[in-house]
Amino acid sequence: MARQSGTGTSATRRLGILVILMLAGLALCGLWFSAEDVVQGSTVRIMYIHVPSIWTAYIAFGLTAVCSAVYLSGKNRSLAWDRFAGAAGEIGVLFVAVSLVTGSMWGRLTWGTYWVWDARLTSTAFLFITYVGYLAVRQLGGTHRQRARRSSVLALLAILEIPLVHFSVTLWRSLHQEASVANPNAKVALDGLMLFSLFLGLVAFTLLFVWLVLHRQRAMMLEDAFSDRGLDLAITARRNEAGA
Amino acid sequence: MKHASFIFGSWGLTAVSVAVYAVWVIRRGRELAKHATREEMPWT
Amino acid sequence: MDLTPRTVTEPGTQPPARKRRWLPILVVVGALLGGGVIVTQFLTSAIDYYCNVDEVGVRSGCSGERRMRVQGVVEQNSVKHADGGTTFTLDFNRKTLKVAYSGDPGGVFQECIPIIAHGRVVNGVFESDRIEVKHSNQYVEKNSTRIDASNKEAAACSVLKG
Repeated sequence: MARQSGTGTSATRRLGILVILMLAGLALCGLWFSAEDVVQGSTVRIMYIHVPSIWTAYIAFGLTAVCSAVYLSGKNRSLAWDRFAGAAGEIGVLFVAVSLVTGSMWGRLTWGTYWVWDARLTSTAFLFITYVGYLAVRQLGGTHRQRARRSSVLALLAILEIPLVHFSVTLWRSLHQEASVANPNAKVALDGLMLFSLFLGLVAFTLLFVWLVLHRQRAMMLEDAFSDRGLDLAITARRNEAGA
Repeated sequence: MKHASFIFGSWGLTAVSVAVYAVWVIRRGRELAKHATREEMPWT
Repeated sequence: MDLTPRTVTEPGTQPPARKRRWLPILVVVGALLGGGVIVTQFLTSAIDYYCNVDEVGVRSGCSGERRMRVQGVVEQNSVKHADGGTTFTLDFNRKTLKVAYSGDPGGVFQECIPIIAHGRVVNGVFESDRIEVKHSNQYVEKNSTRIDASNKEAAACSVLKG
């Protein structure tokens, strides 16, 4: 048996510390140092977690699609690609959910309502439910290769929703604002420390995603290995015996 | 701060959600690693 | 308990002997049903969320006394509160529409801000019972503007004028 080091390495531990420090910095900048918005007042502070959350989800689903494409391409049929895809998909679902909830709370304060069926919110809800379905499809059973094949196909279809979500505010009439940074005019519409706080949030959440995905895909590697040797069920049984 | 409950609530909810998931991932990894061979953990 | 590893020909190719997994099947069915509801909402509501002020009475779906959502910018110096209601003028593409809202819009509602009002046109006035504030994508620090503290109500007008 290996030493009980879990899924961590010295590199992930260093990355974890960096992420914690950056998130602390984000909290200071977002909640304390950055100024209020002239129209929205202090409610703008929700933006510093809402936008990085959906950004992280986009990255996660992008990685899911890339890994799925590599797996399906046949050049490298390693199941590691499938595990990276699954881990990223799971983390993406978490961050879309966070984005929907924080956006809803922000919407209550600025729009005056928690939810509307406009293009951005509706397409984001559809994105969320698609990837919940993706995670469920991964759990349907069969061999690891069957799981990898069917979920890779689904991931390549689901990624087509990302441009639909991002450009929904320009394609259709929406209550949701247009992008303040990545907009078609290429004009940044945020003042000094507001822009810095948002940028810090994007970097911190991206590094948090990298840390999470490394740990999760390693745990998935162990799950697959245990599933192969039927040990998972035995461990559960032993744990139940110990608890009884 | 005006609307403090909504602002801190949204930050808190985000922090708790991510922290709960991160702790679950770490604990799951540690639990599985206890019974894994070195060959099954190529990162060690 | 026997924990001796079983002999496996090639990892990942043997279907694990498990009972049928009902939870993932239920989640997949739920996702399909939820997806159907969302697509329906998209086609009926999201794809054409509002009419602009200049389209009221002109564009199909924006005319008559049917209930609709109208988008425009709250005209400066037009907001009046009386008898528990609020009246103001919406402006878009040089066309205006008088709005009578049954209550105080609250939130970040103010002059010069784009809003969407829900309601219907009655005798040339848009009688609204719901207002959503459609804030812009511009974020300006409060302390970096030249806004007079006594003129907070017109903050959005200052941003528009630069």
